[in-house]
Amino acid sequence: MSALKLVPESVENPPVTNGPKTRSARPVIQARHVDKIYANGTVALQDATLDVRQGEFISLLGPSGCGKSTLLRIMAGLGDVSAGCVKWWEQDYDVVGSKGRKLAFVFQNATLMPWARVRANVRLPLDLQKAAGEHAERRIDTALEMVGLSQFGGAYPRELSGGMQMRASIARALVTEPDLMLMDEPFGALDEMTRNKLNDDILRLWQANGWTIVFVTHSVYEAVYLSSRVVVMGARPGRIVEEIDIDEPFPRGPDFRVSQRFADYCRQVSESLEKASSMGQEAAS
Amino acid sequence: MNAPLIRNERFVQIAAPISVGLLFLLIWEIAVRATGVAPYVLPGPLTIFSALQENWLDLLNALLTTLKVTFLAFAIAVLLGVACSLLFIQSKWIEMSLFPYAILMQVTPIVAIAPLIIIWIDDTTWSLTVCAVIMAIFPVISNTTLGLRSVDPNLLNMFRMYRAGRWQQLVRLRIPGALPYFFGGLRISSGLALIGAVVAEFVAGTGGAKAGLAYMILQSSYSLQIPKMFAALMLITVTGVLLFTLMVWLSNLALRNWHESAMKTEN
Ligand SMILES: Nc1ncnc2c1ncn2[C@@H]1O[C@H](COP(=O)(O)OP(=O)(O)OP(=O)(O)O)[C@@H](O)[C@H]1O
Ligand SMILES: [Mg+2]
Repeated sequence: MSALKLVPESVENPPVTNGPKTRSARPVIQARHVDKIYANGTVALQDATLDVRQGEFISLLGPSGCGKSTLLRIMAGLGDVSAGCVKWWEQDYDVVGSKGRKLAFVFQNATLMPWARVRANVRLPLDLQKAAGEHAERRIDTALEMVGLSQFGGAYPRELSGGMQMRASIARALVTEPDLMLMDEPFGALDEMTRNKLNDDILRLWQANGWTIVFVTHSVYEAVYLSSRVVVMGARPGRIVEEIDIDEPFPRGPDFRVSQRFADYCRQVSESLEKASSMGQEAAS
Repeated sequence: MNAPLIRNERFVQIAAPISVGLLFLLIWEIAVRATGVAPYVLPGPLTIFSALQENWLDLLNALLTTLKVTFLAFAIAVLLGVACSLLFIQSKWIEMSLFPYAILMQVTPIVAIAPLIIIWIDDTTWSLTVCAVIMAIFPVISNTTLGLRSVDPNLLNMFRMYRAGRWQQLVRLRIPGALPYFFGGLRISSGLALIGAVVAEFVAGTGGAKAGLAYMILQSSYSLQIPKMFAALMLITVTGVLLFTLMVWLSNLALRNWHESAMKTEN
């Protein structure tokens, strides 16, 4: 594999243009009636069913504590489910890591190794997969450049700000060119400007490389701007409330952000969110 | 005028304890002179110092003997302790079955088993070393095991996701993460190795060419050479402090780039 493709021209897999068309694409993840009950009795997920198809950009949106991170971790094959089942590329988890199926996970906090410099941290997945070939250095450079940390390869994580640490962690996920990228609120700690820039970067990469992304966010705007499908979740117990297709062609640009359609989608998603949280309150009281 | 020096943290770190020490010695000397206590009951610092000067060859030899046992025991304790920790983290079962015995070794008073060990092992150096190892090994085992187990669960998840093997997990994640704990263990263990060496020698009571500082103390107390006894005692304390300082320095050297314990926090 070559270094990351930065320009959409070199597209091998045709880009997804909108949500419904991907319904016929190959499933990447199939979660069926998944329950997750933690050892302390917390019901973090109840009867969650979700299909993630090849080339989709899915956002998980919901109030704090509704099980977004939990669902994402399950999709990453981290931790068992209490009930239900999950398939990866229509197979068991073993398929991940072998046969060139690559997963990358961006954790909610940066999760860098404090004793290693930024460059070594970004390099880690390549080292672990023994993929540190000739392209490794270039890939690392590209990944660092993309998140704007070219100057900081030699720094230790604690010398970076919270947002910079998060960006280093994103670079670490990008460097493997994953087939499926799971991102847990990656831009939560960033300022509006950097966030918008990274939103566009990630969209461009997603299109150019034919990735599949599941993305957790608190921001309705971000969800609508990025996704081909928004999955709204509710709390207590954590569950999937509604799936909303964002029927807008890619590439999306600043024009979309100020369009009427964008506003309509945002309203629709917000209403769904409100409904979800009021339902949660009824259940709690 | 002194303001810049006073604000220099390194200077204060060294100067402050030394001033306290000097003040203490001064009060001691004055008290001894004022009350006229006999030097075989409590010698003043100056008397002790001249005893040190008079017997320096004897004392130096004894110090070297004690140091040899201490360092040998410390090195063995570290190697063996780390090996045990690596074994323990292989499975909860191994740890559960063996850890109680590590504790057993820790809580058994060394003076109680030293006579046995001295009977079992003919060679004095080795019998003393074994006693000192028993004394020093526990902090290494318990701290290193704790460190090897205290991994950021998300980092561990990531390693699993990238299908890292046990070896990669150990070398790239567990061992670097355990270093701060390990060095914490060394600080305690180095002092215990010295104490172990001295205590074992007290029990053994070995004299002759292989006499260590403990024997010096015993012998001088029998012959009422109390200033010499104090001089030997002082050498033990100073050695202990230097050992500890050496461990702190090593730890700071290894961790200075990333661990809170070895860095100045800047706000
Ligand atoms: N390891 C755990 N043990 C027990 N309970 C847990 C654990 N992790 C999460 N939970 C519980 O599961 C529920 C869902 O947690 P989760 O982290 O998935 O929420 P989230 O939607 O990601 O929230 P946020 O937006 O704040 O990150 C919470 O109620 C939480 O208390
Ligand atoms: Mg979360």
